[in-house]
Amino acid sequence: MLEVKGLCKSFGALRASDGIDFHVAEGETHALIGPNGAGKTTFINQLAGTLRPDAGTIRFAGEDITRLPAPRRARKGLARSFQITSVYPGFTALENVALAVQARSGHSFRFWRDARRDPALTGPARQVLEEVGLEERMHVLAGNLAHGEQRSLEVAMALATRPRLLLLDEPMAGMGADESQRMIGLLSSLKRRQTIVLVEHDMDAVFRLADRIAVLVYGRVIASDSPEKIKMNEEVRRAYLGEGA
Amino acid sequence: MSWALVFEQLLNGLQYGVMLFLMAAGLTLVFGIMNLVNLAHGSLYMVGAYLAAAATQWTGNYLLGVALGLAGTLVVGMAVEVTALRTLYERDHLDQVLATFGLILFFNELIAIVWGRAPLYSSLPPWLQGHIKLFAGSTYPVYRAAVIVVGLLVAALLWYVVTRTRLGMLIRAGASNRTMVGALGVNIKLLYTVVFGCGAALAGLAGLMAGPIYAVQPGMGELILIQVFVVIVIGGIGSIRGALVGAIIVGVVDTLGRAFLKPLLGTMIPPTAAEAAGPALASMLIYLLMAVVLAVKPAGLFANR
Amino acid sequence: MRARLILWGIAALLLIALPPLATALGQPYYVDLARRILILAIAAISLNLILGYGGLVSFGHAAYLGIGAYAVGILGFYGIANGWIHLLVAIGASALVAAAIGAVSIRASGIYFIMITLAFTQMLYYLGISLDVYGGDDGMRLKSKSQFAGLVDLRDPVAFYYVALGVMLLFVFLTYRIVNSRFGMALRAAKSNEARSRAIGFPPYPYRLAAFIIAGAMCGVAGALYANHTGYITPGLMAWHQSGEMMFMVILGGMASTAGPVLGTFALLLVEEVLKGWTEHWQVILGPLLVLSVVFFRRGLAGIFFKPDA
Repeated sequence: MLEVKGLCKSFGALRASDGIDFHVAEGETHALIGPNGAGKTTFINQLAGTLRPDAGTIRFAGEDITRLPAPRRARKGLARSFQITSVYPGFTALENVALAVQARSGHSFRFWRDARRDPALTGPARQVLEEVGLEERMHVLAGNLAHGEQRSLEVAMALATRPRLLLLDEPMAGMGADESQRMIGLLSSLKRRQTIVLVEHDMDAVFRLADRIAVLVYGRVIASDSPEKIKMNEEVRRAYLGEGA
Repeated sequence: MSWALVFEQLLNGLQYGVMLFLMAAGLTLVFGIMNLVNLAHGSLYMVGAYLAAAATQWTGNYLLGVALGLAGTLVVGMAVEVTALRTLYERDHLDQVLATFGLILFFNELIAIVWGRAPLYSSLPPWLQGHIKLFAGSTYPVYRAAVIVVGLLVAALLWYVVTRTRLGMLIRAGASNRTMVGALGVNIKLLYTVVFGCGAALAGLAGLMAGPIYAVQPGMGELILIQVFVVIVIGGIGSIRGALVGAIIVGVVDTLGRAFLKPLLGTMIPPTAAEAAGPALASMLIYLLMAVVLAVKPAGLFANR
Repeated sequence: MRARLILWGIAALLLIALPPLATALGQPYYVDLARRILILAIAAISLNLILGYGGLVSFGHAAYLGIGAYAVGILGFYGIANGWIHLLVAIGASALVAAAIGAVSIRASGIYFIMITLAFTQMLYYLGISLDVYGGDDGMRLKSKSQFAGLVDLRDPVAFYYVALGVMLLFVFLTYRIVNSRFGMALRAAKSNEARSRAIGFPPYPYRLAAFIIAGAMCGVAGALYANHTGYITPGLMAWHQSGEMMFMVILGGMASTAGPVLGTFALLLVEEVLKGWTEHWQVILGPLLVLSVVFFRRGLAGIFFKPDA
């Protein structure tokens, strides 16, 4: 479903992405791990369309999307969650997700009907909120939600666009043990229906969820394999896992 | 339409451009380093013009008047920075625009209270009056030539300071990373006040140079400020080089347009239409130029940020 | 929601009652003053759409006030006095100019956008000054007010007042519907978090441009009414002072609220009236007041009564 070839991105002298090849098959959950500064978020940004690569190609469902701007990619079914929570703080959780539903529902040049009470938007939004476990909090302003709830809202918004591919950038960032377990539970249930690219530091989650793991170090993929093989890979242990998984 | 006339207007354009540059450099410095939109920059221009004219009259000495005017503007600038602008650094651009707009109203009216609304007369010392000879028998006013020379000297000085001195390095470093520079033990507050003072001095210099050529009256700052915005949009914000290039372009285009567009149109369309369209188009020229630049290079020619 | 409706109802009733009250007290001047405030409130409402809800700091909105006014003036100059044509041209011309300016400006980021909108409006101001046939710098007198045959006579000050009030209330309602529609939500989302909007599939540009055009057209209506009100049209309407004042009307009242621009316009213009009564140098007092209001008074007046919309 996703095919990345030779992706390169430099910031001055720093090579954040150094010829990355990356393939994700439909229905698979492919994790991306690596030490801080390896270039994971830069990579996700290039996949999502917020950053233009210097070289390389990205193909999504057979189509070349390398030059496509982010909103167009989202409409083609590529959804992302942000590493640093990026929701609409002044709107309620329900309104946040409803906006995501609205984004996938054709154009928004409708000027009269009240969008806040439109069941075509609020209905699906409620469903997604139920799925991520936020239905009790749907009328709370997103800015007032607890950190873990906001991370769940991030995932909810990505889900609400009915994506074909989910790019999750450290969904569990900053979460405590309980919240992490809940998120892992959510992601497990999503696994069955979604193709997922998961960037994470939480090794517990990675090994439980991933079908395949790629390891990114200094902008290069040094290994890409099944979880068991990665665990035993010498190079990976030296570069990353040895630091305490 | 002789070549001498064209050349004279080119020089006028350069002279106007140089003044625009002084203003633009100050504005872009302040924005680049402190992320502050300062609409009251035009007010400092006006203050410079008034203080210099008043000081010259008071002391009877032109150079002393200039020095006092500059010093006065510097003081006013720093006073404004310390009292009103410090709170604005953290605020968004909208708040900065609104607050400095309020400052403009204040300064314009204050000047009107002290000096009245009628244009003020700025005198020139004998050694700056008269004309100098250029090639082919054409002449050019001494004063305007002096403005060009001084402006270019200041441009060179600015370039030197920003690229070759420690202060300039601090300025450029401050632009990219405020907290880091602060952590290095540099007094950020002092740095900001100094930078703002420099910006104010540049505006004041432009103002006092403008005195003898253009009308010195309340509101004079805003008329040039908007053109300075055009310069910055064309040149790219945060870039001194962009400010220079943009300023020269705007100065020359505006001056040549005002001088030659009407006669030029007169050769193509009936004179009565040219009579109306000429000045109208000439006054719109630099804004149309801005639109074209924006369409092609949305961040300006030498964009830094 | 109920509380808001009740407060609006009270405000509307007070405004409706003003002319008979003023006449009873023998002070017709207040009808005039209130009418001017109402017309400028319409302009502020239009600016609030793009500034308060859209997050576009347009420092050139007075352009459309001028275009609307000149539409009426120029048509009258050529003998066309039909009010409907005046309105149509005012709206059409404003929308067109807004489309042109918006197309170039909206792609620009924050600080550039402010400068660019200011610059373009200044350009129109200079255009107005240089067109001597329409009065140039001195402006032109309105030949005859817009005529809405059979419907209302704008020469009647009280009738005109009610027209202004009606239009203002209508625009308040229209704005309310627009900002809560899908379009409005997309616009507000782009203001709240642009990166997030892009990520879910909303490109900000088309919505912002559309809002810019709508706001321009609405302001054109205000301009047309203003020309009828003052009977005199000058390029000064488009001077950047006017744009700055309009921004304050929006901010003082509280951005992103339907009541905000109305409250802000009343507050600012009434303060100006009071200050003008004290001294001819009222701006030396207003200036610092405005600065202080920005420094201390973030949420605006409406923020005292209501929580602002996002």
